[in-house]
Amino acid sequence: MSSNMIVQLIGVSKRYQTRWEIVNAIEEANLEICQDDYIAIMGPSGSGKTTLLNLLGGIDRPSGGELRLEGERIDTLGERALLEIRRHKIGFVFQEARLLPSLTAIENVLLPTVFWSARAGDETDRALELLDKVGITRRAHHLVHELSGGEAQRVCIARALLTTPRLVLADEPTGNLDYSTRTDIIALIERLLATRGGAIVIVTHDAEVAARAKRRFLMHEGRLIDATRIH
Amino acid sequence: MRLYHVALHEIGRRKTRTAYTASGIVISVALLVASIIVAIAGQKDIVLIINRYGHSLTIFPATSTETTLKGFGIGSGQYIPESALPAIREVYDSAIKSGWEARGGWVMEPGAPGGVELLQPATFAPRLYEETTIRDRHAVIAGVDPEAEYKSRFWWEVETGKLVSRPDEVMAGSVFGKITGVNLGDRVEINGHSLKLVGVLRETDSPDDYMIFGVLSTVQEIFGKQGLISMINVRAMCNYCPVGDAEVALNKTVVGVRATSQRELALAQHTIFRNVTNVILGFVALSFVIACMAMFNMVLGTIHGRLREIGLFKVLGASRGQLMRLFTYEAVMMGLLGGIVGYLLGYAMASWIAPWLIPGTTVEFTWWHPVLAVLAAITCSILATLYPAFFASRIRAAEAFRAL
Repeated sequence: MSSNMIVQLIGVSKRYQTRWEIVNAIEEANLEICQDDYIAIMGPSGSGKTTLLNLLGGIDRPSGGELRLEGERIDTLGERALLEIRRHKIGFVFQEARLLPSLTAIENVLLPTVFWSARAGDETDRALELLDKVGITRRAHHLVHELSGGEAQRVCIARALLTTPRLVLADEPTGNLDYSTRTDIIALIERLLATRGGAIVIVTHDAEVAARAKRRFLMHEGRLIDATRIH
Repeated sequence: MRLYHVALHEIGRRKTRTAYTASGIVISVALLVASIIVAIAGQKDIVLIINRYGHSLTIFPATSTETTLKGFGIGSGQYIPESALPAIREVYDSAIKSGWEARGGWVMEPGAPGGVELLQPATFAPRLYEETTIRDRHAVIAGVDPEAEYKSRFWWEVETGKLVSRPDEVMAGSVFGKITGVNLGDRVEINGHSLKLVGVLRETDSPDDYMIFGVLSTVQEIFGKQGLISMINVRAMCNYCPVGDAEVALNKTVVGVRATSQRELALAQHTIFRNVTNVILGFVALSFVIACMAMFNMVLGTIHGRLREIGLFKVLGASRGQLMRLFTYEAVMMGLLGGIVGYLLGYAMASWIAPWLIPGTTVEFTWWHPVLAVLAAITCSILATLYPAFFASRIRAAEAFRAL
């Protein structure tokens, strides 16, 4: 295994039992995500993109195959261990910013520290630094409803980066944004990736966004197809 | 930032929902506080009656009309000879002692070396009532033994002047003083005898307010009733003396007198009030159960509406315990809010109800009432939130994530 390997999926599958049938959401997926990887996953709705993100983020467990994070199998870990992985090694960016409306921008960035096991030190400086990096320092103490869609998404990105995660998972991060803001957000993600390292996986319907990724994959009926060379 | 900050912000954001959710608790706490305050005010009133009259015994001449005239036991034309007092006292003391011992009390014989007399002798305060005319107004004069009378009527207070003590002095009840316009130092003519008014009593809310008081021997002499008295007030000098036993013994043993005690009546009133209070508190407890159920439903409904938020917390690494704590903090804050508002509302209700229910009563602040209100509200709130919080904590991360 390469020393800069972050995540490895080996023949991973995920099945759901519904009332009437067994749904194969992911079938025999193989994927290696390394340091500085910038991966885009595309596909129609219901093709298994979000399920794949859940598996990568330790939110769900595969039904078969092996899932390794930094060389360690995590598909066999208990809920507590997965919790620690989610807290410290994975960052999540959502389609809608998913900020707590009762908190200010900086409080939303600091929200993950509330759940850390060890008493968190004062991460305010780090949060301000991240808000500076995403370009909204002047909005740090504004409530969520006082932010625009693009600003809220920037806060969400800053929150995802608070723990300096090895892997950032972004589920349609530009889905609700206008063209200009979408371009800004993607440029921001790329800039942050270049400066801080780690890897990023973006699920998107937007071919233009996907085209900027280093590697592209297509999900089709649960199968993960390498589409990097498809134009 | 800590978990309770998040809870506090969430409570602040959902003001209307929080107010609605806590409203049941507010009402229950208000009912609890109002019931307790009114009950305590009522109990105090009854205890006051028991303290004033409950340990006392009134002995009248045995006649069927002893209480018919103005309610004072006056004018029956019947008297008790003063010479009967020692016999009456003997019967009374014997009944109290045997009753006390029968109830497991310990009686130290008077004069025992190094001992203390646990049963202090009762005070016998004889009175002679006579009707007369003072300054062209019909009046009732009571001849009293000053020393015994002041022990018996320990709640008497002088408005002006002093208590009567000499044979040539009289003292007026508060209403009598106002009606007749007599002033301190005035001479009052009674059946051709001139007596000096030396004091006016403060209002007692009793027939005493309408009378004028002189020394027993003087009144006996003025009205030619030497050696006669109209009634005897007996004040037991212990709170738990079996006055009822003495009443029975006197009525059975001493011919020509009738003893009556208000203790049993006051105790019965006390018991009824206590039972009614208990029933009301039972209803209050029921209202707490209903408030808990209503809150349970509302919180559970809220959790379904907060799946996205729960999903976010799970994704960010919230453990089951942390989610439970988050909802519990919210419950405590809602309870605190409900307790404080409920207490204020209950106090206001009690301030309005108590004087209407028990005239003359004033509601007093007691520190443990707000403490009890807040504790009851928080307990109710936590109980109502326990299952919904448990339910929220068990939502799987993948399910919650799907809700995002």
